[in-house]
Amino acid sequence: MSAPSLVTPAAPAAAPIPAPPSVVDRLIAVVGDRNVIRDPVDLRTYECDGLTSFRAAPSVVVLPASTEEVAAVVRIAVGAGMPIVPRGAGTGLSGGALPVPGCVLVGLSRMKRILEIDLDNGWIRVQPGVINLDVSKEISAAGYYYAPDPSSQSVCTIGGNVAENSGGAHCLKYGFTVNHARGVRMVTATGEVVDIGGPVLDPPGYDLLGVVVGSEGTLGIVTEVVLRILRKPECTRTFFATFPSTDEGGVCVSEIIGAGIVPAAIEMMDRLAIKAAVAATGVDWPDVGAALLMDVDGCTAEAEHTAAVAVAIARRSGALEVRVPKDDDERMLMWKGRKSAFGAMGRLAPNYIVQDGVIPRKDIARVLAEIARLSQERGLRVANVFHAGDGNLHPLVLYDAKVPGQEHAAEELGGEILRLCIRYGGSITGEHGVGADKAPYMAEMFSDADLDTMAKVRCAFDPGTTFNPSKVFPTPRLCGDRPGPYRPHATEVAGLADRG
Amino acid sequence: MSTTAASLDALAAARQERPATLAEATEALRRADRDGERLLFLGGGTELSLGAPPVGVEVVLGTEQLERIVEHAPLDQIVIVEAGVRLASLQEALAREGQMLALDAPWASRATLGGLVATNAFGPRRTRYGSIRDLIIGISIVRADGTEARGGGKVVKNVAGFDLPKLMVGSLGTLGFISTITFRLHPRPETTRTVLFPDLDADTVRRVVLALRAAQLEPAAAAALVHEGGDDLGVRFDGRFELGVRFEGFEAGVRQQAMKLLELATRKGWAAESLGAETARAFWARHDDARESPAGFRAKLAAQSMDLERVANAAIGSLFTALEVPRCVCYPTLGLAFVAGEVRVPGQVAAAVTAARDALPQGSVVLQAASPEVRAAVDVWGPPPGALPLMRAVKERLDPKRRLAPGRFVGGL
Repeated sequence: MSAPSLVTPAAPAAAPIPAPPSVVDRLIAVVGDRNVIRDPVDLRTYECDGLTSFRAAPSVVVLPASTEEVAAVVRIAVGAGMPIVPRGAGTGLSGGALPVPGCVLVGLSRMKRILEIDLDNGWIRVQPGVINLDVSKEISAAGYYYAPDPSSQSVCTIGGNVAENSGGAHCLKYGFTVNHARGVRMVTATGEVVDIGGPVLDPPGYDLLGVVVGSEGTLGIVTEVVLRILRKPECTRTFFATFPSTDEGGVCVSEIIGAGIVPAAIEMMDRLAIKAAVAATGVDWPDVGAALLMDVDGCTAEAEHTAAVAVAIARRSGALEVRVPKDDDERMLMWKGRKSAFGAMGRLAPNYIVQDGVIPRKDIARVLAEIARLSQERGLRVANVFHAGDGNLHPLVLYDAKVPGQEHAAEELGGEILRLCIRYGGSITGEHGVGADKAPYMAEMFSDADLDTMAKVRCAFDPGTTFNPSKVFPTPRLCGDRPGPYRPHATEVAGLADRG
Repeated sequence: MSTTAASLDALAAARQERPATLAEATEALRRADRDGERLLFLGGGTELSLGAPPVGVEVVLGTEQLERIVEHAPLDQIVIVEAGVRLASLQEALAREGQMLALDAPWASRATLGGLVATNAFGPRRTRYGSIRDLIIGISIVRADGTEARGGGKVVKNVAGFDLPKLMVGSLGTLGFISTITFRLHPRPETTRTVLFPDLDADTVRRVVLALRAAQLEPAAAAALVHEGGDDLGVRFDGRFELGVRFEGFEAGVRQQAMKLLELATRKGWAAESLGAETARAFWARHDDARESPAGFRAKLAAQSMDLERVANAAIGSLFTALEVPRCVCYPTLGLAFVAGEVRVPGQVAAAVTAARDALPQGSVVLQAASPEVRAAVDVWGPPPGALPLMRAVKERLDPKRRLAPGRFVGGL
């Protein structure tokens, strides 16, 4: 259960292990000198992602511009026996793009072209470096959008979203990246290019796409993605409600869901999170125990009906106040308050750890009470901002790294919260991914056999564990010998099944 | 040469095991592993004709006694079922809490959830709710070597570990035995209403799909049946469809959407009517008949949704000519269709399949049922997918001795 070697939380990364000159020369031959970063000072930019407490220096960073270049880079790295870590915008919060010492870090930021748009068939083909929000911007004038909306959507990339199976506030109704990715082009561990899925539904074969999305860069490097795009809903109705505490807020959420309403989003913030949002964005939210922000959408009559029912439920559940935005600007401001809650924590404490645990929705009140108890015991403040509709908690553990022992205590508290989620039958991560950060907890959520089965799938794609080693799995797993050469089956021999 | 009939005979000759508990099922897999026996997993038996006939099956492991609903948590909108639970009985239990599994696949009273997952079955509600991969959130399996493993969980939002549930969807029992499945649930709609376009050509069906979207309508289901313009010799495909569009939800929204669609149809000059409860039931019963009536031949066609005219001309038309008592259901928003019927001249049917594949190079034509003669002439799966080497590697890792439904899957896996 130790963190990856040479990686120490909050400590500066060790000096990079230099890449062999012959490798550097070959990489330069593929992508050009300026796209091979090997100066130790320049490499520091890449030594962590959004999880800044873990750092490690890559040996070399390569910035390819095409699928062919990615494939050539993979072949060079594999040939040199160097691990490969793919990276999008580096906004991930679980250390998925954290370099492995001695690795070739493949940055996909130059691959940011939108390749093809087919509105009538409802899809768009993009390179992995395209920013999430730019997909929606590109098709917005035509009345379409891309549904998954992680809070970082103005900076995070589609490639990173595919790796992490990113969600967002609106995935309660619309699903996650995996429900919107229709196909990928991927460079495999052998440096080959393979298309998995595509614009047409139900391609024959195993649902490898379902496995690749959310595999956190451990199966290959995705160089193109076909995304499903949706027509914007006719109408969105939003309301903001305040409550004395998260107890009443939690009851309100359960009652709304129980009334057969599927909100597009339903978010809760506790007192501390509300304070942070107010400080960061100037929203005029009162100092109360909890606030709910909810969107319903669809055709006008349906959205208005469900909004009215939900507001009535909120009042019945003990809401102190219910606000309905008078126009779109006010609505956007409310959402800005919610989406800036993470970043706003900097105004409440010098440092924080954000967790991403999930619990069954009905247990929200009980789990929040336990988190409050843990927070008191440890003497550390915890702010809660979460996707209440699907039980995805984002407890933010506030601390000051300059106070000896606080960072360690904060990490322990974060870990206890994850264990709490496991104990309630939930998950250690709802949308941020396992990465390096939560890999040790995988063994508490899954059995050895579960992890072994996942490892077999990984080995099928990447028998040399070249891609993003030391992520996701709690202990290093070798693939062992391949299970023997392929033997044609009787049906193939008989010519009944064509292997192609 | 293997034939469907021969393989079904072979299945009858195989040892039948019907474990009463999940533990017994695991024990049966361990025993088969020890004895090197090849297995076929059997649910409701509604889709046994899918894939190539598995070869050398010695044990048929049936799930009919694994029919417990393990957990239904209405407040969390999830359910955990054993593989042998039948779809209709699950829906009945969920309805008592005002909920449903948004899966309306055919043969609901016989089909089991394990089988539905293994075959990636779907019905018209896929239009709005997606397919099984969008509804499944957790699974427990027994691997070929008898190891019990689990993926996903019982919360809807969960990205911990690889998505084993999705890997099992549509894998036809070739990667492992499905023992329990966890699904996310939806509220049962307060009301539904169907708008029928009784007579449209393929291009107009396509334009209706675009118009629905342009008008921001969100149908729960849309299905086009081949227009019954036939004579005494049976149904002939004259290129025309009847299209049913169903809205579901709260009364206010359903009424508004149906009205809007009717206004839109009037504006465009398309004949359309909002059906009463009785006639709506009749339309969807015709849909169910077209999907469910027994057929010696059935093909699943997949293309882009805007390619419907090409699907109609190049695939549906020629298959209708080649088949006896042909029938067809299209899901025009999805780009998916089924054509079924009886084989008269195998060579003619095989030629129609080949022509359809040529006409839909980006799509697929998969034979879900076919006579031995047709199977001998054309591969049921069509050309192997580009990712076949990766699929083969997955199969080799999870079933290295090739004992689970050998040969049934794509590429002889």
